Amino acid sequence: MKYITFFTESTSNPALVGGKGLNILKLGNIKVIIPPGFIVNTNAYKNFIEKSSYHDQLNDLFSKNIKPKDVLNHSKELKSLIMGSKFPEYIKKEIKEVFDEINNKLKKTHSYAVRSSATIEDSKAFSFAGQAESFLNNKNFDEILLSIKNCWSSLFSPQALLYLLQMKKKGIDFSLLNISMAVVVQEMINSEVSGVLFTTNVLDNNTTQMLINATWGLGETVTDNLVVPDMIILNKSEFNIVRYDIGKKEKRSIQNPNGSGTILIENDQNSGSLCSLTTKQLYQLYDLGLKLENEFCYPQDIEWAIQNEVIYVLQTRPITTLKNKS
Amino acid sequence: MVFMKKIGEGLSCSIKTEVTGELVYIQEINDVINLFDKAAGKICIVDDAGTTTLSPILSELTGTISTTGSAGSHLAIVSREFEIPCIMGLNFEIEDISSLNGKKAKITTEEENKGILYLLE
Repeated sequence: MKYITFFTESTSNPALVGGKGLNILKLGNIKVIIPPGFIVNTNAYKNFIEKSSYHDQLNDLFSKNIKPKDVLNHSKELKSLIMGSKFPEYIKKEIKEVFDEINNKLKKTHSYAVRSSATIEDSKAFSFAGQAESFLNNKNFDEILLSIKNCWSSLFSPQALLYLLQMKKKGIDFSLLNISMAVVVQEMINSEVSGVLFTTNVLDNNTTQMLINATWGLGETVTDNLVVPDMIILNKSEFNIVRYDIGKKEKRSIQNPNGSGTILIENDQNSGSLCSLTTKQLYQLYDLGLKLENEFCYPQDIEWAIQNEVIYVLQTRPITTLKNKS
Repeated sequence: MVFMKKIGEGLSCSIKTEVTGELVYIQEINDVINLFDKAAGKICIVDDAGTTTLSPILSELTGTISTTGSAGSHLAIVSREFEIPCIMGLNFEIEDISSLNGKKAKITTEEENKGILYLLE
């Protein structure tokens, strides 16, 4: 397939699947549980732009020199042209074919997460972390297509354009014509607990410890700092809990029960006195951390989610900050 | 004579260097656009989801503060990448955060990674 990359494929080409996609492919080839799905690769994005009826206008906007004060309008125009462009039928057909195959295999009620995987993420020149967006809880094929376009247009969000302008000031000039985005489509995990696991204690760069952030519901509340989550520090050579700080966890993110997307709801008042993870779950995460660090031969930053007592790995990437000494 | 008044405490999630800067409370993308060419020397405060908002100017900031979040928040990760002191989940001991705009402050780290924010008066 030209526009789809399967999780079982072995490619080391971030230009095709983006930074996040590349790490998911690596996970797909080792024995950890990841939600089933596929990657709409950058061939799809490039072809979509090329065949857009607004191709000339898009190219003009991509080539234009902009100033910080122009960013909001520029972003709005680009988004409007991308969202107004139609998918070429052959790309749509290929995505539908793979979607139907996965959807038919899943017997329970489910929805899908659509996540951006930009080609300039995790670049050695600079980080693009948190710039591009994810769209959760897509209920059907049409919603997935819409979210793919939303991911692509998030390449040109006001903050992403400002970020690129900032890099230009530092002499790193990325033309908008040259950046691209793959999109990861996966079964949505409706997690009871989720969070981030660092296989090194990143507070002190202490490689003899692990650090876990955990909260109830979906993990976006941890990564987007919407709550103060629990923080647990584990000893690494032999499992034991060094520190357990219970976070306030005032809110939780859940799937919107009345449609697509997610909503935030208030947690019980006593949530600030309850642990979100059991000792057994902590041990399972510890075990997972050791395994992934070993497989990737480097300390990892892992996003995970627990549903029905199964731990799913949503993403892993190397911890980028170990060279920095505190 | 400069007096130091403690105005908040949270988790120190990045480099432990003591820094002094001018506080700016960031509430929307326009605040970032306004800071674009004058971010140097600023300590930015955000509430939630501050990652994407602050990222464009992060490399020039002196420090970052968030009233929520922890070590696994993207803001903390990116602050570590740029080696900028960062306090997450900071509890302010004052009511009106906006009143801090333009004031001088200091970030320090104490034992057990306690990040402390002092107002310099």
